[in-house]
Amino acid sequence: MRTDKDNYDAVIIGAGIGGLVCGCYLAKAGLKVLIAEQHFKPGGYCSSFTRGGFTFDAAAHSFGAYRENGIVRRVFNDLDVAERLTVVRADPSDVVITRDCKVSFWSDHEKTVRDFQYAFPAEHNNIANFFCFMRNPELSFFARSRQRTFMDLLASFFKDERLKAIIALPVYGNSGTSPLAMSAVMGSQVFTEFLLDGGYYPGYHVQSLPDTLSQVFLELEGTLLLSSPVKKIRIDDGHVKGIVLNSGDVITSRYVISNCDAKKTFFEMIGTQLLPEDFSRTLESMTPSLSAFILYLGIDHSFDGLLEPGTNFWFLSHYNFDHLHAISELGILKNTVGYLMHVSYDRKTLTAFINVPYINVRFWDKYKKIMTSAFIEKMEADAIPDLSNHVVYADAATPVTLRRYTMNHDGATFGWAITPSQVGLPYMRKPSFLRGLYLTGHWVTRGLGISGVTHVAYDTARMILRKEKRFNNIQEH
Amino acid sequence: MPDNVEQEVIAIISDISGYDPEEITPDKNFYNDLEVDSIKAIEITVAIEKKFKISVRDEDVPNITTVRQAVELVTQLLNP
Repeated sequence: MRTDKDNYDAVIIGAGIGGLVCGCYLAKAGLKVLIAEQHFKPGGYCSSFTRGGFTFDAAAHSFGAYRENGIVRRVFNDLDVAERLTVVRADPSDVVITRDCKVSFWSDHEKTVRDFQYAFPAEHNNIANFFCFMRNPELSFFARSRQRTFMDLLASFFKDERLKAIIALPVYGNSGTSPLAMSAVMGSQVFTEFLLDGGYYPGYHVQSLPDTLSQVFLELEGTLLLSSPVKKIRIDDGHVKGIVLNSGDVITSRYVISNCDAKKTFFEMIGTQLLPEDFSRTLESMTPSLSAFILYLGIDHSFDGLLEPGTNFWFLSHYNFDHLHAISELGILKNTVGYLMHVSYDRKTLTAFINVPYINVRFWDKYKKIMTSAFIEKMEADAIPDLSNHVVYADAATPVTLRRYTMNHDGATFGWAITPSQVGLPYMRKPSFLRGLYLTGHWVTRGLGISGVTHVAYDTARMILRKEKRFNNIQEH
Repeated sequence: MPDNVEQEVIAIISDISGYDPEEITPDKNFYNDLEVDSIKAIEITVAIEKKFKISVRDEDVPNITTVRQAVELVTQLLNP
C-alpha cells in the first residue's frame, strides 16, 4: 500500500552538484522534493575518497564563477552554503608549462596579461585585446561566432601557433572537446569561468561541497536516498508520474528532473518506444565529451616552487591539436598534446589528468597499470624531477572506472562534446514530448564543470518554480 | 501563415526561456523580461534557424530584442 510519504512534487535523479542545487532551490520554495542517488555518497564527479591512508579528490578539484555576481557565489549565498564553507582560491589558479615557456593565470588580470606579453612580445597588443574582449564579450560576437570553433576565434586574435595552443590546452582539458571542433561561444565561456575566474576550492576536500549542499537540502526537509539507483521514469499519457527504483519501490511525483546521463535517461529509464523517432536518431548520433585517465598519487615530498598546492599545472607537450593522443605500448600517452597536474592543499597527494577516449573495457584492463607507471615517468621527464622516488601510493581511474561510479556514458567527463552543432538544443533540457520532465547537469549542452552545472540547475529550478507560480519564494536579484 | 510562425517562435522561446507561452507576448523584451542571456539568445537563434530552415544574418541577432521583432524577421526570411 502506498502512503503519502511516497508522493512528491519533484523527484531528482542523481545527487551530483546539479541535482543538489536544483533540489535545494525547489525545497526552499516549499516543494516536496526527493533526490535518488545510485552511489553511497553524494557529489558525482565532485567527490573525494580515501585509499592507502590518502584522501583524493576523485575528479573535480576546483571551481570557477565565484567572483562577485558569479553564478556559484550567488547560489552559495542564496542557499546559505557560503558561510558553512571556507572557500579559498589558488593564485595563480592555472599555469601552462611548455618545454620553453611558462605563463600563469593570476587573480589580478593585468598581471596575467603582462605574463603573456612577456612570453610573447610580438603579440603584445593582441593579448591585451583578447583578454579585454573575453572579460566583456558582446552579444554580436556570440551571434557571429555561433558556427565557429574556438580555434577559429583564437586565430582571429593571434598569429603565434604556440600562444594559441597554450590558451587552448586548459580549455580543452576543462571541456573534453578538441578546440578544433569546440564551439567558439562555449570555449569562451569555459575560458571565462574556468581560467579568468577559476581555481576556487571548497575547504579541505571537494567532498565538503556536496556534503554541505546535502545538509542544506535535508534542513529544507528534502529527502535524499543514497545507494538507490533508478530503474524507470514512469510516464502516463505523455506526462511523467514519478520513478521506480531498482529495489522496486515506486515514488510518485509531478516533476522528474534527471541530473544523470542523457542516453541512460531516455533510452533506459524512459524507453525508446516512448520517444519520437527523429529524437532517438539524434540522441543516438550525438558525441559525448572525452573521458579521462586520472592518476592518484600519495607523495612524501612537497614540490613547492615547482608545483604550488591548489594550482592547476598544465603541461603542453606539442602545439598541434590535430594530434590529441596516439594509442601505443604505453596506452595512449604517446604524443599526447598535454595533461594536468594538481597538488592538494595538504601537499600529501598529487592528481594528474589526461583526456582520453573511452575505447573499451579490455583496453583499460590491459593498460591501466602500464599507463600508471608510464604517466609517472612522463611527468618526471617533463616537469617533476625525482617524482618516482617520492610516490608512496599510486592508483588510477580509467574511463571504465568513471563510467562505473557516475554512470556517465563512456565515462564522459563533461557531458556532450561542445561542438557548434551540439550547442543550443532545447530538447536536451526540456523535451516537448514529455510533460514534467527536465534535464539538468552537464548533459544539458550549456553547462560544464561545477560552475556550469550550478548555473543550469539554478535555471532549471527557476523554470519549474515559474510554472508553479512560486517564483517569489526564491530570492530575486 | 503569420499566426503559425508566431506560435512556433513563441514555442521555441518558451522552451529555452522557461516562460509559459501565454506570458510571451509580442512586446516582451528578451533580455529585460524573459531572462534571456547571451547563450540563450544563441540557442534561440539556432533553434529558429533549424526549425524554419532559414539563416539569420549575424549582424541582425543583436538588433532583435523583442518577440515581435523575432517573428517579423522570421516572416521576412520565409517570404523574401
